[in-house]
Amino acid sequence: MSTDFKPRVPRQFIGGYRPRIDGVEKAHGRAPYADDEISERNYPGLLHARVLRCPYPRARIKHLDTTKAAALPGVKAILTYQDPEVVRLRPTNAGWTDAVDTVSYDKMMWTKFRDRRVLGDYGTWAGDELGVVVAAESEMIAEQALRLLEVQWEPLPFVLDPLDAMKPGAPVLHPQIAEHNVLPPDPVGGPDVFLSKGDVEQGFAAADVVIEMDTSHHNPTQGSLDPWCCVADWEEGRLTVFSNSYAADQTRMHVSQMLEMPIHKVRVISKYVGGQFGRGDTGDQPFFIFTALLAKKAGRPVKFKHTRRDSFHDTRQGALYHCKVGATADGKITALHFKSIGDIGAHADHSVFALKFAPAEVSDAALAPIPNIKMESYAVYTDRIPGCMMRGVGNSQFNFIFGRMIDGLAERLGMDPIELALKNFGHAWGVCPDKSLTAVLETGAARIGWAEKRHKPGQGPLYEGAIKRGVGFSMHPGWHAEWQEERRGQVQAKITLHPDGTVTLDAPTVETGTGSNTCNVLGCAEALGFLGVRPEDIRWVSTVDTDNGMRDCVQTDSAVSFLQSEVLVVAAQQLKQKLLDLAAPVLGVPADQLTVTGGQIHAPGRSLSVKELLWKGDLVPLSVMVSRRPSGTKTGVPYIASFAEVEVDTGTGRTQVLKLVIINDCGTVMYASGAESQQIGGQVMAMGEALTEELIYDPVRGVPLNFNFIDYKMPTILDMPAIDPVLLEVWRGAGEYGACGIGEGTLTCSPRAIANAVYNAIGARVDELPLTPEKVLRALGKI
Amino acid sequence: MDSKITFTVNGQSRTVATDPQRPLLDVLREDLQLTGAKYGCGEGQCRACTVLLNGKAVASCMTPVAEADKQTIVTIEGLASGDKLHPVQEAFLAEGAFQCGYCTPGMILGTVGLLNELPNPSEEDILSRMQRHLCRCCHYQKLLKAIRRAAGQTAQSAAPK
Repeated sequence: MSTDFKPRVPRQFIGGYRPRIDGVEKAHGRAPYADDEISERNYPGLLHARVLRCPYPRARIKHLDTTKAAALPGVKAILTYQDPEVVRLRPTNAGWTDAVDTVSYDKMMWTKFRDRRVLGDYGTWAGDELGVVVAAESEMIAEQALRLLEVQWEPLPFVLDPLDAMKPGAPVLHPQIAEHNVLPPDPVGGPDVFLSKGDVEQGFAAADVVIEMDTSHHNPTQGSLDPWCCVADWEEGRLTVFSNSYAADQTRMHVSQMLEMPIHKVRVISKYVGGQFGRGDTGDQPFFIFTALLAKKAGRPVKFKHTRRDSFHDTRQGALYHCKVGATADGKITALHFKSIGDIGAHADHSVFALKFAPAEVSDAALAPIPNIKMESYAVYTDRIPGCMMRGVGNSQFNFIFGRMIDGLAERLGMDPIELALKNFGHAWGVCPDKSLTAVLETGAARIGWAEKRHKPGQGPLYEGAIKRGVGFSMHPGWHAEWQEERRGQVQAKITLHPDGTVTLDAPTVETGTGSNTCNVLGCAEALGFLGVRPEDIRWVSTVDTDNGMRDCVQTDSAVSFLQSEVLVVAAQQLKQKLLDLAAPVLGVPADQLTVTGGQIHAPGRSLSVKELLWKGDLVPLSVMVSRRPSGTKTGVPYIASFAEVEVDTGTGRTQVLKLVIINDCGTVMYASGAESQQIGGQVMAMGEALTEELIYDPVRGVPLNFNFIDYKMPTILDMPAIDPVLLEVWRGAGEYGACGIGEGTLTCSPRAIANAVYNAIGARVDELPLTPEKVLRALGKI
Repeated sequence: MDSKITFTVNGQSRTVATDPQRPLLDVLREDLQLTGAKYGCGEGQCRACTVLLNGKAVASCMTPVAEADKQTIVTIEGLASGDKLHPVQEAFLAEGAFQCGYCTPGMILGTVGLLNELPNPSEEDILSRMQRHLCRCCHYQKLLKAIRRAAGQTAQSAAPK
């Protein structure tokens, strides 16, 4: 099991094991989530909204009569696609940005993919919100009102499979955007062949070995326990939106732009979120807009909340990958060609990010030493739940083929896949073997027992007559180093030192469970070491409120943990200077002759405590607010890997994961307890997407069958293996700490590690997720 | 038709006039402002809504409020004594058995319910009972440790992780 991590540079607060700063509050059940706060008590006259959802995989509303619904006692307002304030809304996309930055309508990433109408009359998946939204005295009345709507539907031909959707004559979802259901080239993702380096044909010709393979990743969903929830509240022409979106600034920009309101008249507030995982992306969800319009129409605050079924709202993109790889007999890869067909579902949203942007990032990092690379992708509309952001966006799908390629090529060459990986992958500014990759893979190999447990595929011993065991791994370059976060723009933090020496830390970010709030407090205490401040002397402001004028650092890319701490280093230096400037006249010594340590200001021959100094004055706190852009210094990338040991029952086809070793090179571990929690916690999602979770559609009716926690099988305590989280500090990034984000990538490699381990166990490949018993038995030729 | 229903919540007698079939969860959250119990699925499948009914862990989203009539309920708000955490809360905190914290009130009360019935549960008891609770972000490995700690099965002196 896990052994405690030891920091490379011992620090007072950063890097240690300790309870979370919000632990007591959460253990008490007092942490305020949106659904708790949006109540009649806080919003007198609160109404509840329910939206019509398309009952067909594709349909248009031909006629609507709301008379009966409007007459139901308790119904207060109905907004429909025919209302002028809805009709005039511009078409939109639910992924304006990947949330690292704040963008306007014109600057959204996907200007070519505005395929959504807020409350339109056309639905493209069974579950699409459209047509009508009702505000009533209770959710139940609103739901009843929906049932009283007289809607004349025009069901339309639909297509569920991306390969079918690409065929000539397939029913086209959004003809104005994608004539044949395949998204056209766009400025961010690029053309179909979005990456072309060297000449792959020459590379294949120069190879001794060329092999090809296919994998299929499915579309699991985020499964946050805390369903989407928001309130829109108008007062004197000003709008307040409180929600469990994790991107307050972007939500404000989205609302302001869609409703054409001045920014200062929109206020967005977020507090705690019960699990984010990329869900619904960035606050660009159309429901913010119709909730706001409905509240305006009703003249009362309106709460819109998802049911569990509604929470099956977006997913990872399903992706079929094909890979062709060529290598010399000694294991040098000469050419790589990846082609993907993405099932993006009914709306484009952020899918091109997953299918093009993320793999392109990998090519800059891990694949940099490979001379010839071609990558192409086709993002295809289907009448299914849309893909959007999900933890490890795009990287999970890519890793499933990438790790397969390493394992398959090594086998063909008669090499150990670890050796093959070290020989070929690194990053653009380094040499092979890469130090970080070497450490990650060697550590993983030692912890799983690679040398002892690995055998020829399917050639290991048989246990209990039918059980076979195997080990496998997969590796990936990290994508959350500081230079990779440069696009965020300014990161802001404010330190306020009170006259009694305590501190308020305003480092706006929505707490979604990642523990970055604890990192911030530790970073603040570390930076304020000269004051002798302890973490318990620091109050972390847990509410993100756009009215405070500061920008929130969005909880994406798992990078908040270190980005804000880097800002705090600068803020602390400035605070120190302010303090010394304040002390100089009191002590009668120029500021440059003063020093401050342990809460004492030292002048030649005497000293004064900071508290004494502050109490002498006007009791106005000292505040410093700092904006800092992440450093763009190219420091290379740290590596991550998962190693798995599995047991496969060749009689039933059941795969049981015995152990997962999760290794992250962190650069600097900011908060060891939190980092390990991310490593361990990420495996719930990894295990689910590898083995049990699967959205199932009725192919005849085109409707989803398992949008609930009974039939959508997320792992429980019974399903989890032993997990060994390993934190390393080998690579080093920019800044004081040189850290990187790790949370998102903790599940990226695990499904492939498990699939490779299954192959090692049974000697037959299952390359389609999830690895169900049926697929295993089919691979074994038993069914 | 509304009925008058009286029960004890966290040591206080409360009376509500409501539809007897309304989920206990809604009554606790909306009428009594006890928002510690969470809505996660409304179908008893995630147990974020767990409360104690006469000491037994129940899914309050699936419990009609009528079933609470003249009974005793404890929600997460009533588990600690003031600011002094209940031993199960202490154990969860010490083992770091949560991250986002949304499932935590339910997990903690599920554990209290388990230990009320089986003060010294075997691993099988723990797994079979707690597999009813879903957690998406923290992982059950730490939860298992927390439950063992709460049951007094591990050394209390271990450093918090």
